[in-house]
Amino acid sequence: MQMKYFELIKPGTNHDFVKYRRVAVTASLVVNALILFGAVAWPKLNYGVDFAGGTELQLKFNKQVDASDVRDQVSKVGFGEPTVQVYGNPSENQFLIRVERIALLTPETAAKVKDEVSRELSTSEPSGFHFDPEVGDKLDFSFKKPVDPKALQAAVEKAGVQPKEVRTLTSREGQIQEYTVITQGPGDKIGAALRERFGQESVEVVRTEYVGPQVGKQLRNDGILAVLYAMGMILIYVGFRFDFRFSPGVIIALIHDAIVTLGYFVVTRHEFNLTSVTVILTVVGYSVNDTIVIYDRIRENRKRFKGTAFRDLINLSINEMLGRTILTSGATALSLVGLIVYGVGTIQDFALAMLVGIISGTYSTWYIASPMTIWLEERAEERREFEANKPKPKPHAQKPQQPAASR
Amino acid sequence: MDRSWYWKAGLIVLVALGAVYALVPTWTYFQLPADQRNEAGVFEQRRPGWAPKRHLNLGLDLQGGIHLVMGVEVDRAVREKAVRRAEELALDFDRRSIKGVDVKGDPDTGIVTVTGNPDAVSKAKDEITTGYTDMYVRRSSSGSFELAMKDSAIKLLKESAVDQAVKAIRNRVDKWGVSEPTIAKRGDNAILVQLPGYSNPEKAKELLGKTAQLEFKMVDDADRSLTQLKDLPPGVTLDWDRYEGPGGAEVQSPYLRGKDRNQLTTFLQGKAPPGREFGLQKVEERGRGEGYYRTYLFDKKAGLTGEYITDATIAFDNSPGEGNRPYVQVTFNRTGADVFGRLTAANVKKRMAIVLDDNVDSAPVIQSEIPGGICSIHLGGLKPINEVLQEAKDLALVLKSGALPAPVRILEERSVGASLGPELIRRGTKAAVGGLLLVLIFMALYYRFSGFVADIALVLNGIVVLAVMALMDSTLTLPGIAGFVLTLGMAVDANVLINERIREEMKGGRAIGAAVQQGYDKVFWTIFDGHVTALVAGFVIRAYGSGPVRGFATTLIIGLLASMFTSIVVTRAIVEWFVGHGKLHKAFSV
Repeated sequence: MQMKYFELIKPGTNHDFVKYRRVAVTASLVVNALILFGAVAWPKLNYGVDFAGGTELQLKFNKQVDASDVRDQVSKVGFGEPTVQVYGNPSENQFLIRVERIALLTPETAAKVKDEVSRELSTSEPSGFHFDPEVGDKLDFSFKKPVDPKALQAAVEKAGVQPKEVRTLTSREGQIQEYTVITQGPGDKIGAALRERFGQESVEVVRTEYVGPQVGKQLRNDGILAVLYAMGMILIYVGFRFDFRFSPGVIIALIHDAIVTLGYFVVTRHEFNLTSVTVILTVVGYSVNDTIVIYDRIRENRKRFKGTAFRDLINLSINEMLGRTILTSGATALSLVGLIVYGVGTIQDFALAMLVGIISGTYSTWYIASPMTIWLEERAEERREFEANKPKPKPHAQKPQQPAASR
Repeated sequence: MDRSWYWKAGLIVLVALGAVYALVPTWTYFQLPADQRNEAGVFEQRRPGWAPKRHLNLGLDLQGGIHLVMGVEVDRAVREKAVRRAEELALDFDRRSIKGVDVKGDPDTGIVTVTGNPDAVSKAKDEITTGYTDMYVRRSSSGSFELAMKDSAIKLLKESAVDQAVKAIRNRVDKWGVSEPTIAKRGDNAILVQLPGYSNPEKAKELLGKTAQLEFKMVDDADRSLTQLKDLPPGVTLDWDRYEGPGGAEVQSPYLRGKDRNQLTTFLQGKAPPGREFGLQKVEERGRGEGYYRTYLFDKKAGLTGEYITDATIAFDNSPGEGNRPYVQVTFNRTGADVFGRLTAANVKKRMAIVLDDNVDSAPVIQSEIPGGICSIHLGGLKPINEVLQEAKDLALVLKSGALPAPVRILEERSVGASLGPELIRRGTKAAVGGLLLVLIFMALYYRFSGFVADIALVLNGIVVLAVMALMDSTLTLPGIAGFVLTLGMAVDANVLINERIREEMKGGRAIGAAVQQGYDKVFWTIFDGHVTALVAGFVIRAYGSGPVRGFATTLIIGLLASMFTSIVVTRAIVEWFVGHGKLHKAFSV
């Protein structure tokens, strides 16, 4: 039977993957360390509001507007270093503005407001004041006698803070009178400032995101927990289905891929948010599948070729699966092309980071997961021999660096 | 072709038809113009009668809408409770004739301090340790002791504060007509509110965050202290209300009016007679612009509060000259109706001020006893009718929800403007379709016939995933699409694995039928392990992740299950059919 078909990889290809494992592992360690350093120390991940807390606005202008002009305008109203990015196609006049703070109040200004209010409304006998810098946009006052909310607002304004709303919480007879002043948030303030500069109808706020600092922290913890638990469960499953000596390889390859994907966000300085976490999770899922498929072939070949050196088994398996690995990675990468071409902002970042992850996932299966397994196998063998009380040096266990037989 | 093949084929056809059937309402949903999608009535009307009800929803990130996380200030609720408790304690001590003790609640710490002569204090302490289950003695010395809420009581109080807030918010949102809102407790003290398709965050926050307080207070028209006041501030004048009082005699009552609200408040500070207070009403005049503020003098103590309200609806006044002006009708519960009935009966031909959030809404003269607990609030003065209608709606809404038990504050806010949604959907569809097409073409080119079979499986996979999501009433979000891409990748992988394996087997010299069988059998466990590992991760992520991450996991789980079915069962059945009909051997290619 004569069959014709495309073949990406010629049968019998025998590339020695195992041989380069030291170089590959060293290079990967360096790259991963650099990325981790970059993410944690310098230049640090560009955390979006999801994790850092803060306010993000997506604005659409109805005319050509200069980004630096927008930035100046935003920093002028009291936001030191706003991030202003052109969003999508420049002809659409869209901008993404991010400010770290969710509120404008610092403990110092709050103290100033307190003094001003006690002075202005001394006849109402102020009896309490509460400001939580974590919340930052809310001032609680209590008085022994009722206060007109408008008078309270005036006093707050006098201290230089723009209240958005004054709420009367309790004003019961003979009770402590409580009021809450909610100050203008950055969203309102930025919107107002830009309208003032570019015209009332010129700006449309397309999207706003505001995440309080505690929520940001919680979201981050939830994300990390989810990834960690998932890794743990994978470790257990692989241990049962294959061998516990296979598990660490999967996990290390998976951590490697997660870090490399993180590297996309470190290098590009693009925003790292909850969607980025889903990219990493996707890559993790992909990487695990990729590794499992190779392991599966190793498991099969091990039964078929009993007595063959472990490293040769691995090489054989990787080579046998070479066509499949490249095809699958290629096809998955193809499915991302649409997202890269038509995507904007977050979606595009999603697709590009995913592409990085897929490449890394393929690489890590060949050069990280497999060497890890070899190393563990050799350690196990050493131990077995050691346990068998052989004081003499063990030739093949101690020479992991023997030159490849086939070249 | 053995019997089991026909069973399988039947199952596949059933699944495919079922999936298409399940997607009918989703198709209808997406055919609707974006602004009508969330109107249940319109959707119901368009949906074919034979189709299921559930459809795929678009997430807030794709269709626009508001996502809010509101923190409930439970600590404040606890502190306020402590203060109220102090009042109750004082009353209780009085009742039990424990004299000479002073009870004070500190609103900042929630600690209640009891001081007084040592004998009485120790009696009071005994009373508390035996009679009160929610407080304990925190510190004590002769002559004074401190009380605090027990932890269990605090926990209960906090829980109920959040629950009540959830209920109140749900109540308000429901009456807004936002369809398919999400209102859920999140953690111990936060509430998640999602309003799809609603695009006015300021208004949403205003209505959700408002602590409405409705009080009914009797107006004191006999007091003349206003007339004694000297040196009225500039712009403030004294005027008189006149109306027909008890027995037909005219009642005259003085009030102050002025343009500046602050000025009036400051001027009247401390001038009310004991037990009374001044309240302000904003009066608008037809064609005269701003309008003015006027005072009322009424009892400090509310005759009735908003807690007793069960319902508030809009009604229209079609008496002559009113031109169908809307007003709000308030219904009280049984206790409320009782109190309200007695209050009105005792005060016929007197005025009662309706005070909402410290503003006098109106002060109608009680014409007769109002039994049955239904009362009307007219609003808006001379505003255009549609504005009044809006105000009436808002007031009815606020009244109906009752007062929020504890103040809420926005922790997280995301709003996607309605204009952004369609743009994202358009781009997203292009991206997804483009990517899918590329993969399909690639597979068909590379594997030819088998590639084509794999393509059928991939498309079916997509349809099944969407159908299952529709049946589960779930929401399609951006991260969900990410999960879908991963599934697609794994489904492709499964097909590649199978086809490569069949090639290998054929190279090993097997006949095509045997190669197909061997290929599928051997690859089964590979595909199984890959998918199950990803599934395990998916379930863990779904359990521990939050928000968008969970959406990702849901799609992933559904997609993986569908992928196992389509790659292993569906393609095999198709390929076996062709292989089984020997004549097609030549056309078969992997």
